[in-house]
Order: sequence, then C-alpha cells, then structure tokens
Amino acid sequence: MTTTSESVRKDRDKQDLPELDATVKPRVHRRGALEYFAWLCCALVALGVVRTVFTNENYQWDVVAQYVTAETVLRGLVMTVVLTVLCMTFGALLGLLLAVLRVSPLRPVRILAGAYITFFRGTPVLVQLIFWFNIAALYPHLAIGIPFTDVSQDIDVNRLISATTAAVVGLSLNQAAYQAEIFRGGFASVDKGQIEAADSLGMSRGTKLRRIIVPQSMPTIVPATGNQFIGMFKETSLVSVLGVGELLMSVQLIYARTYQTIPLLIVACVWYLVMTLLLSYPQSLIEKKFSRTRARVSNGPAAVPTQTEMMGEAK
Amino acid sequence: MSQMNGEGTVHARGLRKSFGERVVLDSIDLDVASGEIVCIIGPSGSGKSTLLRCVDGLEEIDRGVLRVNGQDLGFRETPRAYQALKRKEVAAQRTRIGMVFQSFNLFPNMTAQENVMSGPVLVKGAPKAESRRRADELLTSVGLQGHGDHYPWQLSGGQQQRVAIARSLAMDPSVMLFDEPTSALDPERVGEVLAVMKDLAHRGMTMLIATHEMGFAREVADTVIFMDGGLVVEKGSPADVLGNPQEPRTCKFLETVL
Repeated sequence: MTTTSESVRKDRDKQDLPELDATVKPRVHRRGALEYFAWLCCALVALGVVRTVFTNENYQWDVVAQYVTAETVLRGLVMTVVLTVLCMTFGALLGLLLAVLRVSPLRPVRILAGAYITFFRGTPVLVQLIFWFNIAALYPHLAIGIPFTDVSQDIDVNRLISATTAAVVGLSLNQAAYQAEIFRGGFASVDKGQIEAADSLGMSRGTKLRRIIVPQSMPTIVPATGNQFIGMFKETSLVSVLGVGELLMSVQLIYARTYQTIPLLIVACVWYLVMTLLLSYPQSLIEKKFSRTRARVSNGPAAVPTQTEMMGEAK
Repeated sequence: MSQMNGEGTVHARGLRKSFGERVVLDSIDLDVASGEIVCIIGPSGSGKSTLLRCVDGLEEIDRGVLRVNGQDLGFRETPRAYQALKRKEVAAQRTRIGMVFQSFNLFPNMTAQENVMSGPVLVKGAPKAESRRRADELLTSVGLQGHGDHYPWQLSGGQQQRVAIARSLAMDPSVMLFDEPTSALDPERVGEVLAVMKDLAHRGMTMLIATHEMGFAREVADTVIFMDGGLVVEKGSPADVLGNPQEPRTCKFLETVL
C-alpha cells in the first residue's frame, strides 16, 4: 500500500507539466531490464570481435587486400559463377522433368522418379562428386550406338570425365533431386478446384500442366529456387576436392605456395559473402513480389494473407 | 456412333457411387430431357454435389448407367462390361458438358477474357482473334461488358461466378451443371447470378442445378428433385415437391429452409 502511494507521489513530483487529457495521452511501453542487458552483451561481443580483428596481426589484412583482386582469385570467382549458373540450369530442367514424372499417371514412372530423388537426396553430395570423378573405374568405356546393330562409337570415359565435367554432372544431378521436390511442392499448392475446372473443360494433361499448374505454382517455386541458387553458389566450393579451379581452389593454390592460409581463406569468404549479399537482394524482391500475388491468387473473396504479410503487420 | 438425337439429355439408371465404405449415391434414376431445367435440393451431404460431379465425369461411378448427351460417360458399353474410353475421347465428351462450381474456380493467372477464351483456344484450338470476339460477346451476355481485362481478384464474387458461367458457355455445351452456384456469394450478389441462369434457362439450355434457392427453383425449374442420404426421395413439378410434398422427409426439410 505504502509503496504504491509513494510511487504515485513521486510520479506527480516529476511532472511539472500540466496533465494531458486522457484521450490524447501517449501510451508508453515498458522496456524491460532484460532488453538493456541484451544490448550491453551485444555491444561487448561486437567490441571484442572488432578489437581482435584489428589488433591480431595474424589476420594479415595487408595480404588480404593484396590478393582480393588477384587474377587467380578472380578467375576462380568466375569459375564459381559459371559452375553455379550451369548446375542450376541443368538442375532446374532435370528437376522439372522429374517432378512431372513424379505425378505421372503411370505407377512405374512415378516409382523411378521417386527412386532417383531418394538416392540423390539420401547420399552426401561430396561423396557423389567423388563418385562421378571416378566413374571411369566403374565404366571404363562408353559406347554410343544404335542397339542391335554394329553402328557404335566407343568413348574413353577417363578422357570424357574431367574434373570440371564431373563437378557439373555431380552438382546438377544432385540439384535436380532437390529441385524436383520444390516443383512437386509447388504443383501440390495449386487448388484442387483449378484442376477440376480444367478437367471440366476437357483440357489435356499437357495443357493443364503448362497453362494452369505451372503458372500458378510459380509463387511457391521461384522463391525456393532463389534460395537454392544462393545455396548452390556456396556448394560449388565442394568441387575443390576434385581440383576444379573455382574460388576456394584458387586461394588454396596460393596459400599452398605462400603459407598465408588465413588471409587467403578470408579472401574467399569476402567474395562468397559479397556474392551472396548481391544475390539475396533480387531474391528478397522476388519473394516480396510473389507473396503479394499469392494473396490475390487464392480463390473467392476471402484471400488468406501469406505468412510474410502477417509478419509484416505484426511489426 | 455418337447418337446426336440424345444431345442435351442426361439419363441415369441404378447409379451408385461410394467413397470407400460410405455410399453417397444409391440407385439413382434420372431422366432429363433436352431443354429441361432440373433443380436438385436437399440438405448438405445428401449427395447433390456428388451427383453433379458424376455427371461431369469428375467422379467415376461404381455401378449403373450414366448417359450424357446420349453417350455413356467415359465408357463404352460392351455385352459384358463397360470399357474405359481413351483420355481424348473422354475429354471430347466433357467439352459438351459445362460445369459451374460453388467456388467459381476461375484461373487466377488469366484475365476474365482469357478465362472465357481458355476452353476454345486451349482445348479446341480455335483461332485467338475469333475466340476473343466471342468471349467479349459472352461477357456482355452475362452483364460484364468492359470487365474483360480484369483479373479474378479484381472482381466481386458475383462477377467471378458470371465469368465462370461465360467460360463454360464458350465451349457450346449441350448440358450445363451448376453446383450450388450462389452458396459462396454475399446475399446481395446472389440475384445477379440467378438472373444470368434464368436467362440461360429461357434460351432452352438443359440445366441441372444443385441449389438452396427455393424461390429460384419454384420459378424456373421444370422438375424439382429432393435428395437425402444419397437417395432421390421425391421428384416432381416445383408446385408438387415444394408446395405439396408427399414424403415426411421432404416436409421436414422444407420446413427448416422456408
């Protein structure tokens, strides 16, 4: 009792200003001690990191600056970008094909596509890459020809599968499995009534897929694919184990010579980070655009707000 | 092969449909003449929607005869069995049956005009310019002149449903099915859709309508069918079924809705 009346008195003493009308008084929210504590911790951690980064000479920032635009590094970066684009393109195309097979009316076709996806998602991509690199041990000769005739062309698999082809094949085939699941999820997001309306008009399977299902599943597919693209950009670093001259490999080549391991790894990280940030800007735009269309796309008058929109409102 | 004389008719005998253990339609007999307007009434879950979905080929029946436009739907009758038709043949049958859904099911990635054109262009391969002109005509006939460039989300529920009707009509169907076309609409939007349907009825279209709009049924229907529990309980003229029901089950239902 006493504490309450005391605090009320203290409050009144503080305020020399005239009291506001009750309808216009601002609402002041509590800021807990926990929040101030969290800010303090955050500042301390940041300070510690900045301090060590600038005072610890082992970072060798001069070496970082020297190599960040070195020709070898830039050539590696270009290789990384090329690999990313190639593998995403092949992966997306093959993934679309797999997703279509996955919803085929023919059970054996569905089973085959399912088995592919299970295998490639169920084994580590690094192992798959090494496997493709060594595929010649399994099939030393590849013969392309017309079955049941003598017309054929023998190909030496050892020469065909270079480190780069193994990298592209391995990453693309792996990506296709994940991409197929993204497409399938997108197809499943299309309202059942849409398919029924198309069936009712007598639309063929192909037309239905091209004109109804694929366009309507884009809001689900495109943002997820953008994420995969960013993921693939970093995943390409794995192919350095095959000796492909991408970004990580190129800095490894330098520090193998100069023993400046840490600064060169920082160089690689700087480029990965810069590229990822550059890619995530269009990604966020795409995500925003499609989350807006998705709210409209839903049938009937009651459009359900998407998750991002609801979160936006809460803020 | 195709019996053109059966155009615009629906004939069912001993039709049965079940989902797993649950029988949703049992020994349904139905005869709809060309140009006849049939309203199907009954409580939710009575099987009215399923019956229409069977007639549109969206559901496959378990047993019985189902002929639409004079042809066995989806199958070919042989002495010992019904043999499934090729997918193309089934699609051809379906182009002559129009279906209007409770939730409209307009294609959201297309404008109103493109929705109406979708059947002729994407299914029949009709030339685009001609289909566009036809689509505008149809949109005008359902009172939506000038809305052709609007996407479904820019239209009210009643407008969307009228586009959906125009989309079905663009295929020149001989039978039109309406699955509770006004149930998802705001009350003040119901009238505009019913007006379009009335207009269609006066032009001699065969129509099967599952509905809760008793006033509409009384005014427009030639025949009213009352369904309950997957069975046709009562069938007759609107005056008889709605005004002087014979079955106690019908009386009870009408008491609750009127």
